[in-house]
Amino acid sequence: MDKAIEVKHVTKKYKLYNDQKERLLDLLLPKNYGEDFYALADVSFEAERGDVVGFVGINGSGKSTLSNIIAGIVPETTGEVKLNGQASLIAVASGLKGELSGRDNIELKMLMLGFRKEEIKRREPEIIEFAELEKFIDQPVKSYSSGMKSRLGFAISVNIDPDILIIDEALSVGDKTFAEKSLDKMREFKTQGKTMIFVSHSLGQMKQFCEKILWLEFGMVKEYGPVDEVLPKYEAFVNSFKKMTKAEKEAYKEEALEKQAQKLSAKRRTLRRKL
Amino acid sequence: MKSAIIVLKEQIEHFYLIRRLSVYELISKNKNNYLGVAWEIINPLIQILIYWFVFGSIRQRANVEVAPGVDAPFITWMLGGFILWTFFYQATTQGSKSIYTRLRMLSRMNFPMSVIPSFVIFSQFYVHLFMLGVTILIFQLSGFYVSIYYVQLLYFLFATFALIFALALITSTLSTIIRDLHMLLNATLRMVLYLSPVLWQMTILAEPLPTILKLNPLYYLIEGYRASLFGTGWYFAEHWLYSLYFWAVVIVLLLFGAKLHTKFRRHLIDYL
Repeated sequence: MDKAIEVKHVTKKYKLYNDQKERLLDLLLPKNYGEDFYALADVSFEAERGDVVGFVGINGSGKSTLSNIIAGIVPETTGEVKLNGQASLIAVASGLKGELSGRDNIELKMLMLGFRKEEIKRREPEIIEFAELEKFIDQPVKSYSSGMKSRLGFAISVNIDPDILIIDEALSVGDKTFAEKSLDKMREFKTQGKTMIFVSHSLGQMKQFCEKILWLEFGMVKEYGPVDEVLPKYEAFVNSFKKMTKAEKEAYKEEALEKQAQKLSAKRRTLRRKL
Repeated sequence: MKSAIIVLKEQIEHFYLIRRLSVYELISKNKNNYLGVAWEIINPLIQILIYWFVFGSIRQRANVEVAPGVDAPFITWMLGGFILWTFFYQATTQGSKSIYTRLRMLSRMNFPMSVIPSFVIFSQFYVHLFMLGVTILIFQLSGFYVSIYYVQLLYFLFATFALIFALALITSTLSTIIRDLHMLLNATLRMVLYLSPVLWQMTILAEPLPTILKLNPLYYLIEGYRASLFGTGWYFAEHWLYSLYFWAVVIVLLLFGAKLHTKFRRHLIDYL
């Protein structure tokens, strides 16, 4: 089978600065100022065409960073991401212009996604129908409720027919019926053999929908495999993690960060050996 | 050189997108006003009226000699340069903040980032075309009629566009990385107004000052505009050496801006 997503040794480094002075010095001088923070450390995984992969992990484990990197929004610091097809990210704040009407936003967004005029005219009614906005479609988007906004964002992203769909917590808004409708749409995509990435805290939806689970922890891959193998382990972990005291949690984090540092320095060593 | 070709190619390939986005830009900016897009015109008109009042009525200024033997009232002389200045000022300041104010929304889209400053400039270009129309009308009423020299307006429009785009490539990238540069640019431009022949004639100074002030590429554009509107000559051909200098400046700025832009564009989102 052909690969749809190949993520190879991706690392994302952010800089933490204590004040503006440090930020400026770091920009201007060759010396290193500020503290390094690794949102992702040497993450690798592959997904085949038609796979539905769920990203799980506690807050701050790097799920959103990874999905942003795959979508091409944020650049990786080192490593490589290879995509076979066009990726589209659906997030709650999906870049709508508040002053423009829903209809204008549809045209604007599709234009920016590279659609031609005729194509937009053809798809517009479908999108409007899917978003269930009815007479609000000609009102400015800033007057929409958050549910309406995400419905519009979701409707546009889904109807542009991407090859790879990345869904970042987008289904947690909107009411039950819309969530059900969206899930139906995604099942349709699944039968069409589209690749999907699903980021959510709802384990129920994951179980229902995903085939593979990528478990991230402090920016590292903890486990990657079929749903019924990884998800129970993750569930057990979440339950035990919830029961930990604050000190125990801190200790756990320390240990994980230690592991991260080791992994990064090991990688640096192998790189040097190759050179 | 390579990056300049990449950037220019992107402009040509996405020309339809640039035009559509620039229209939406104008509309969405003025959606909250009852008069809408009209404000884009009303604002500079009010400004011209103020100058008219101050320099035309209260402090009566002497006529300006636009060519040997041809005198023009101060207000018409000023107008010829002022509309170009407003276009340059608006497009440059908006171009400078174009990327960092829109990046969060636009980074999801698959079109090149170099399109962002150019559609912002384009939206100002429509306003400028309208203002140019108003100016031409005023010129007819004051007795400076349409002449063959109007043809070179097309050339100067293109030249202005090229200069603004090259500048915007540099400033939009740099002010995303260091936000203070946008403030600095604002302050600098206010000074540049008085270093350009918009509100006063540079020729009243003693040499070598006028020659030094001619290093400012805006000088070339403004004088070219006036030569076209007053019909006093083929400015770009009569001052061919100055034309060469202008295009050399634009090309250097464009090469530098394109290099900077292509080098940083993937990482700009990290600076937000």
